[in-house]
Amino acid sequence: MASPPPVGRHWVLAITGICLVLGALLGVQVHTQVVRGETEVGRSTSLMSQMLSEARAQVERQNKEIERLRIQLSKYENQASSDKGLTRLVSEELQNSRAALGVLPMKGPGVQLVLDDSTMKVGSGVGDQDLFVIHDFDLIQIANELWAAGAEAVSLNGQRLVTGSAITCSGRLIQVNKTTISVPFTFAAIGNRDNLMSALNIRDGTLDRLRRLEFVVNLTPAEEVTVPAISIAPKYQYAKPALQEHTP
Amino acid sequence: MILTLALPIAALIIGFVLVFRLPALPPAWAPYVALSLLAGFDALIGGLRARLEGRFDEAVFVTGFFANMVLAALLSYLGDKLGVDLYLAVTVALGIRVFTNLGRIRGLLVTTRHERRQSQQAPGSY
Repeated sequence: MASPPPVGRHWVLAITGICLVLGALLGVQVHTQVVRGETEVGRSTSLMSQMLSEARAQVERQNKEIERLRIQLSKYENQASSDKGLTRLVSEELQNSRAALGVLPMKGPGVQLVLDDSTMKVGSGVGDQDLFVIHDFDLIQIANELWAAGAEAVSLNGQRLVTGSAITCSGRLIQVNKTTISVPFTFAAIGNRDNLMSALNIRDGTLDRLRRLEFVVNLTPAEEVTVPAISIAPKYQYAKPALQEHTP
Repeated sequence: MILTLALPIAALIIGFVLVFRLPALPPAWAPYVALSLLAGFDALIGGLRARLEGRFDEAVFVTGFFANMVLAALLSYLGDKLGVDLYLAVTVALGIRVFTNLGRIRGLLVTTRHERRQSQQAPGSY
């Protein structure tokens, strides 16, 4: 064992060749990891949560910016509407369109509805926990009843319901306008108070059903309800106005 | 021994540096490449041990190197497809082999040194 038996110099060459391949493979792997580290795939959870909170702060800032710009815009429009003629007409039309789109906060008489999960304890009755929490479909039904009763502007937990506002359920959370909301759920609706009240209190309606399961349901008429504007106006990426048929 | 290993080590570094000029592989391949690497190192260490034990064979070494690399990657890929963590089996098996072989190489080098020292002292005492 003092000196290995002669097997020629080929063994060094063989090992050298193998080492070249091995080095290349090592390089590939390190390179891949380096590249992967630069993309988001390989990022750690803490970094992701940091990014999330940064993104949230940015959304907050930008919402404030939107509000500021809207106020500025409305000032300009007020100046324009003090002029006479076409400018005034255009600015009025613009204001109506904005109200319909939901980018203006609205106020007027209406109702306020506060909903919370059932006070019934699980096990005290029949059924499982799913029966005693408010679901997305409850909220969808209530929104639908409000619109059907002639509500002109509706908000849910400060989120204006507009064309394209979706109330969805993702796991245990409910999202509206892609914003997560949780109990208590508060609807604010502007419209004829009597109509709204009677429509919501209708027999076998959603509220009736919820009350029977001992959900917290608090429906009150109000002299003045404020419905906030939608923070991000809907964008039309695919839909284009089809005006050809109406133009002579 | 150290001098003869200079060439392979240089090759290792050259290979490492050269590849950085190429585009990176898709990240999904990374686990398989890592296992191939482990298999490659295992073959290399095994080759060194065989050399020290005087039973080195180029054909066995080179074929073993490539076959083990492909097999390791293939086995873990198959495991992923079947939903069995076969990569663990590959990692453990190869890891144990690398350590065993390294231990053997260390033992062989130490005994060689002892024998050399004894043979240097020997002529005077005889």
